[in-house]
Amino acid sequence: MTERPLPVPDEASAPFWSAAAEHVLTVARCAQCGQFSMPPDVVCPHCRSSDPRFEFTPVSGRGTVRSWTVVRQAFLPGFDDDLPFVLVDVELVEQKELRLVGRLLDGVNTDLHVGDAVVVGFEDLAPGVAVPAFELSR
Amino acid sequence: MSGRFAASNKVAIVGYAHSQVLRHGDRTLGVQAVETARAAIADAGLGLEQIDGFVSSSLLPSAGGQAAEDGVSTVSSAWLAQHLGAEPRYVAGFDGIGQITGSVGIAVNAIASGAADYVLFHRALHNPAGRYHANPMRQAHGPMQWTAPQGFFGPLAMIALPYNEYLQRYGARRESMAAVAVEARKNGARIPWSYWHDRPLSADEYLQAPMLFDPVCRYDCDIPVDGVAAFVFTSAERGKDLPHPPVYIAGYAAGAPAHRRLPLHWPLDDIIDGGAQTARRLWANAGITAAQVDLPQVYDGFSPFVWLWLEVLGFCPPGEAHRFVESGGIDSDRPDALPALSGGGALGNGRMHGIPQMLECYLQLARRAGDRQRDRATIGLACHSSPHFGGAVVYSAEAF
Repeated sequence: MTERPLPVPDEASAPFWSAAAEHVLTVARCAQCGQFSMPPDVVCPHCRSSDPRFEFTPVSGRGTVRSWTVVRQAFLPGFDDDLPFVLVDVELVEQKELRLVGRLLDGVNTDLHVGDAVVVGFEDLAPGVAVPAFELSR
Repeated sequence: MSGRFAASNKVAIVGYAHSQVLRHGDRTLGVQAVETARAAIADAGLGLEQIDGFVSSSLLPSAGGQAAEDGVSTVSSAWLAQHLGAEPRYVAGFDGIGQITGSVGIAVNAIASGAADYVLFHRALHNPAGRYHANPMRQAHGPMQWTAPQGFFGPLAMIALPYNEYLQRYGARRESMAAVAVEARKNGARIPWSYWHDRPLSADEYLQAPMLFDPVCRYDCDIPVDGVAAFVFTSAERGKDLPHPPVYIAGYAAGAPAHRRLPLHWPLDDIIDGGAQTARRLWANAGITAAQVDLPQVYDGFSPFVWLWLEVLGFCPPGEAHRFVESGGIDSDRPDALPALSGGGALGNGRMHGIPQMLECYLQLARRAGDRQRDRATIGLACHSSPHFGGAVVYSAEAF
């Protein structure tokens, strides 16, 4: 059992975490304008609808690396055994500027470049709890 | 509608005080704040009974999730007014990002509107026991659920991502950042109250420092400290009769990020584009251009902010700040350079937020900088936080 912080699903995010547990990446999509938002909000950040009725919609999980950092110190519990690790800032292919940040599971000895293709992977943290991360596309 | 601030140069700083900056204060933060406030009021030639406004910001900028205790780990204006025994007409705090520039705006507005005649402005910063950003969180609620379980947490990750994005985009090297840290520490070493007084940093020390979140190394981060600064604001008119030359506030601007992002996700383009808007509003508000500023004090709580502010304010072309700084462009000892960290900044003083920038503008423009006094210091500019989220204030030695 990991000591890493576990996500606490709320009324809005529960479908995201249910899908993640099945290793499916979803992103909140506004029912009014069809644009994706990460994270979701109470007002759609694109069309400004105050009734966005966001639906967590499965996405391809594919994206490109916009930036990265090598984490050498953990400020949260449960990461010490994984140090150092890489965090990647990823733009998903579904929409310009739709960005997610997660661990790159390929390890630190990876020759990374902006624009490298990645695909979502999942880390199983506890029974029924998985969080998104990324892997380089081969 | 004119963009110029209606109260431009109608409000001034007329006195100040600054505590010693220590890694851990030997007395409670509130005690230090009370004494520093009294010293600032006296420095302005005033008595407590004349102070009718109190303005501050009191965020404890740690990711550690500590419960803030007023008077101990933070000091609010209400706490300070009560413990001084003042009877203020106006008390306010700024709770956004860019705490110093944001709260200066509130102080200026309070004077300009007549809500108060003399405002005591302060900032008290505390270094809690234990690792500054360590957080024992086992459950990630609310906005944090989208980042913390994934390992994305804390201000070092926040700055490391756009910093690396900058390096990759412009072909810059992290080694070039040594010039920023060395310049800040050179100037901070000359300041008696600085945590780094008499302790400059060499480029070699910078390059050998441990990496924390690549490309961020230890000396790219200001060191957490205990310290208090206080300033007195009043109208330009009333300021004329006080002991020290008034330093006018010509204008100010704050960032307003356009994009909703994950918590602490500050992509490079958000900073650059948002910063350009901050700069545009600043010049319009103050009624000047970048070319008129002879004392720009850019924010440096994390060293990459120095490059970013220099570029968004137009002091060097986009993508060029790394070369500009490395070739001596901000060397405060070169007469032809831009003294952008002459006050030592946060890297050279300790984590006093944007206070070192503000104080350097005040001291130089009031001609109270002592041995460090610069010949040319007419219009200063003090930044705080990131260009897209924080803000900047223009100070002037003359009401123009």
